[in-house]
Amino acid sequence: MSGKNRINIFPTRMALTMMKSKLKGAVTGHSLLKKKSDALTMRFRSILSKIIENKQLMGTTLREASFSLAAAKYAAGDIAPTVLENVSTASIRTKMVSENVAGVLLPTFTKSNEGTTAAELTGLSRGGQQITKCKNEYQRALEALIELASLQTAFVTLDEVIRVTNRRVNAIEYVVKPRLENTITYVISELDEGEREEFYRLKKVQGKKKKDIARKEADQAAKKALKQVSNAPSVPEKVANLLEEEDEDDLLFKK
Amino acid sequence: KNFLFRTSKKKSGSIKQYLPSLQKNHNMVVHLFGTKTPGNLFTFNCNDGYLEAIVRGFRSGILSASDYNNLVQCDNLEDMKLHLSQTDYGDFLANEAGPIHTTTIQERCTDKLVNEFNNIRNQAVEPLSTFLDYITYGYMIDNIILLITGTLHERDTVELLEKCHPLGTFKSMASLSVANNVSDLYNNVLIDTPLAPYIQGALSEEDLDEMNIEIIRNTLYKAYLEDFYRYCQALGGETETYMCEILAFEADRRAINITINSFGTDLSKDDREKLYPALGHLYPAGSARLAKADDVDQVTRIVSEYGQYRGIFNEVAANQEKSLEDAFYEHEVKLNRTGFDTQFGYALFYSYTKLREQEVRNIVWIAECISQGMKSKVNHYIPIF
Repeated sequence: MSGKNRINIFPTRMALTMMKSKLKGAVTGHSLLKKKSDALTMRFRSILSKIIENKQLMGTTLREASFSLAAAKYAAGDIAPTVLENVSTASIRTKMVSENVAGVLLPTFTKSNEGTTAAELTGLSRGGQQITKCKNEYQRALEALIELASLQTAFVTLDEVIRVTNRRVNAIEYVVKPRLENTITYVISELDEGEREEFYRLKKVQGKKKKDIARKEADQAAKKALKQVSNAPSVPEKVANLLEEEDEDDLLFKK
Repeated sequence: KNFLFRTSKKKSGSIKQYLPSLQKNHNMVVHLFGTKTPGNLFTFNCNDGYLEAIVRGFRSGILSASDYNNLVQCDNLEDMKLHLSQTDYGDFLANEAGPIHTTTIQERCTDKLVNEFNNIRNQAVEPLSTFLDYITYGYMIDNIILLITGTLHERDTVELLEKCHPLGTFKSMASLSVANNVSDLYNNVLIDTPLAPYIQGALSEEDLDEMNIEIIRNTLYKAYLEDFYRYCQALGGETETYMCEILAFEADRRAINITINSFGTDLSKDDREKLYPALGHLYPAGSARLAKADDVDQVTRIVSEYGQYRGIFNEVAANQEKSLEDAFYEHEVKLNRTGFDTQFGYALFYSYTKLREQEVRNIVWIAECISQGMKSKVNHYIPIF
């Protein structure tokens, strides 16, 4: 049994049909999951290439942004305390939107501006242009970061899902289907064996019957031969005929 | 002896001719201490000669072109520290632990400047001490703005003390923990500062709450510049000649910057005009026209009519890499250099402070370029001597 790797059921015809339908289910399931896995892997690869190019872009934008900060500090002096003190709530936030890809919910982050940035007039008398340039550079860097965040979360989620799906595909292909197939073969073989036994029995019975008939005939032939030797042409025995009225010895009043 | 007597008479005469015009300006309290003016050829060195000599000594310690050449060729901040230790800066970074950061360099350089300034300030007598105080008022304005902002947003004011510029400290800073809201700040702290006349003249308590903080800063600075200018005029002599030129450029520069930076913001033209200082070559005709300008080209046209500034705008137009701020800084450095060309005036104290500041900016710029790997831009510093 353990060497055989099949399900233990009683080999009947109904069990066979059940197994067959289960196998059909397994095969369809397997092809569907394979398609899902392929679609997810394609998406995964495209995200991977986008992540690589985005990371490089982020590197350059952040570098430019820090350099523009250095230029702004050179022109306008130390603006950090002023800017920090003027902040009340975040004016740039992210919104998460879920997207359905082949049954997987992938989050995407978008930037949303809420409220106005305070301290717009920073550097009014000195270095204002450098400060505006710095602000713009950092906003670009922020956009690159948000996009990278979406891509990376999608990457991680997809990775997990692809692993699970592939596990399932492999399970069906290497465990479930062989087991079902083996069970089916076993049931079929059992049924065949039963049929053969049945057939054999029938044949045997037939053989016996033939033998019986042959013996009977032989008996009859032997009897006939015996009669011919002892008697004249035998008058065919008169067999009592109910239809003909005959003198019959009364059974009751014998003469 | 007779000669001396005559010159002292001349001094008091020169003060008196200024007094009537000063009295006409009622909103500003002018810091005048009797009739003390800086001495001239014969009397300057009695009070201020020693300090002038010290400043000239410091001046020779300002980094030269060869120092800058060495610094630009460094590959990292450790090399820079090594080169700086061979200049007047010495071992100022010796006690810093671990890898040096550009902010550390900036702080230590500023500390050196502050030490030198306080050294001079502590040994100064009138009227030099008042002059040096005027130099610190600019930094004090920045500090006060920081404190007001912090109080408005209900931050802990004691933490803000660490972020204030050390040159702009004032005595009532110690009592800052008392003030928790803006009215406390106004009534208890700000009134005790030397800037009280500027604040009282221009702002009320409600204004502190409502006005945009930058507008407050620029209003205070305008009052400060005008006051300083009047003081320099009152001091007369060589001080007046050089300081008024420098301050006039500062006022014009602020006016131009305010105009250009207010394009595209909510600042109305009237508000803008209120922020222009009432001095400088552009005042009053140029300022009036600047107030009505709508874009940078108009500004360029208006300002190019004044010979001193035509060169600046032409430079900016010709050279893409140079921004207007860079050109202004260069012009400022040029003007400050002339402050050292004369004697018996206080201009060199002011020039020295500003040139040291520029040097700190240069060093920090070079350090940032090196640490961020942007060596192509490293030559944007402004050489001083």
